[in-house]
Amino acid sequence: MKIKLVLSTFALFFAILIPGFTQVGEEEENWDMYDDLALVDDAKVKRYAKPTIVGMSPTRFLSLSYDRQLPYIMKLSATRFPASGNSGWGVEEEAPVSSTGDVTFTGGLRFNSNIPVISKASLVWQTGLNYLRTGYSITAPAGQTKLPVFANALNERGLNNLSWANTVFVPVSEQNFLIFQGSLDLSGDYDWSLQPLQTIRWSLAAIYGKRVSETKRWGVGLARTYRVGNLNYVPVILYDVTSPNRKWGTEILFPARAHGRYNFSKNSLLLFGYELEGQSYRMDALSKGNNSYEIRRGELRPRLELQKQLSGPLWFNIQAGYRIDYSFDVDELPEGREFFRGFFGEQPFGMRNTLHDALYFNIGISFVTL
Amino acid sequence: MKKIIVVCAFLFACTYAMAQDANAIVGVWEPGNGKARVKIDNIDGKFYGRIVWLKEPNDPKTGKPKTDVNNSDASMKNVPLRGYRMLKDFQYKGKGVWEDGTIYDPESGNTYTSVITMKDANTLDIRGYVGVKTFGRSDTWRKLKVN
Repeated sequence: MKIKLVLSTFALFFAILIPGFTQVGEEEENWDMYDDLALVDDAKVKRYAKPTIVGMSPTRFLSLSYDRQLPYIMKLSATRFPASGNSGWGVEEEAPVSSTGDVTFTGGLRFNSNIPVISKASLVWQTGLNYLRTGYSITAPAGQTKLPVFANALNERGLNNLSWANTVFVPVSEQNFLIFQGSLDLSGDYDWSLQPLQTIRWSLAAIYGKRVSETKRWGVGLARTYRVGNLNYVPVILYDVTSPNRKWGTEILFPARAHGRYNFSKNSLLLFGYELEGQSYRMDALSKGNNSYEIRRGELRPRLELQKQLSGPLWFNIQAGYRIDYSFDVDELPEGREFFRGFFGEQPFGMRNTLHDALYFNIGISFVTL
Repeated sequence: MKKIIVVCAFLFACTYAMAQDANAIVGVWEPGNGKARVKIDNIDGKFYGRIVWLKEPNDPKTGKPKTDVNNSDASMKNVPLRGYRMLKDFQYKGKGVWEDGTIYDPESGNTYTSVITMKDANTLDIRGYVGVKTFGRSDTWRKLKVN
């Protein structure tokens, strides 16, 4: 009797369980039955624009690269101090070359991170710390007995850039979106003791854009930037497009960078175009009192870049191009306070320097998402 | 003997409750972009999702039903998107979470590792990622009434 009771109990529970584990087969569907379905929760559904279009190069979450320029010649003016010495090189003044350096090494490691803090359809916020090292090896050419303090400081300490960057993507509708990019940069010839925090520089860009389709988006905006060394305010144009066969495309955030793209496959692509690179670097050896003596370093880098998947999210990239000097002039900032010269300002320079153009390459690995 | 029955009953009740929780995901769902509807089924204890409706079912250029043209596998390019199994191999891990599955994005042709979390009875949070979950992106799917 007891055994029967146990068995019937088992049978009862199995009978209840089986419907719960019902397997659904692959029978032919009547597709029409899915045409007129309503949401269970009839709250208004808001649709959002995606933060990318198809075919674009992968987003890099973490990347480590080595950047190196081939030898070139550096021409330096005499050092003047517009703020502390009340003398500088006028904007229109021709500053004669005071010394020359043969630069046999310019380069170093670069680390970038871009970690998603929030990543959902209604908001994407990515943040990251970046470090960019530029070491120098400069020698005096034959006939010149020694290097100036400026070149010696570059030799001995090199230049460092530490930055904290944030990007926020805010879709406002299924097609329209806003992008805000901001960063705080500490740049100079510092070591572990860093440098006065009043020399932190901030950059910001705001873009309004429209994602026209899965293969095209555009945007316009404004940026406060140090891309050419000096502080500047420039209009921004975003234009990303992928061809119908998904082989060709553009990735443009003008004027910071503009690339054409050729996708060999899902696992490899070639970018061709340019990037503007720059920051304002404090030179400790020449900064008097609280003033900040800063190299306004700006470079134009036309280049080719091959990106290729190694395994899973691990990608490799190699870049080769030409480093064209836009600015290596120097300003003396009273109390370290930034000023805006723009294209028409007349604030005098501390130095007027020229770098001969040079070939460069960059090789790196990245952890990406598609 | 009564104890055995009570224990068995308890175990079966737990198992049944677990099965009911697991099947909470079964049904027809609409992704955040509203461009498709996906029917999720339980097949042999794993969960799969098929595209059962497309906002734009035909390719505007050819007028023919859309196929998986963006798949990097050439043999899949002619497979119709309606009926396509875009969610695969999800297993219920308890507490409203289904893991160990993949999600395929027909628009990009990419497949991502995925985790599904039930936010409430009518809302799913679907996170796709490559490599590390932290570096993924989430989408909200809403349940549809099936007559």
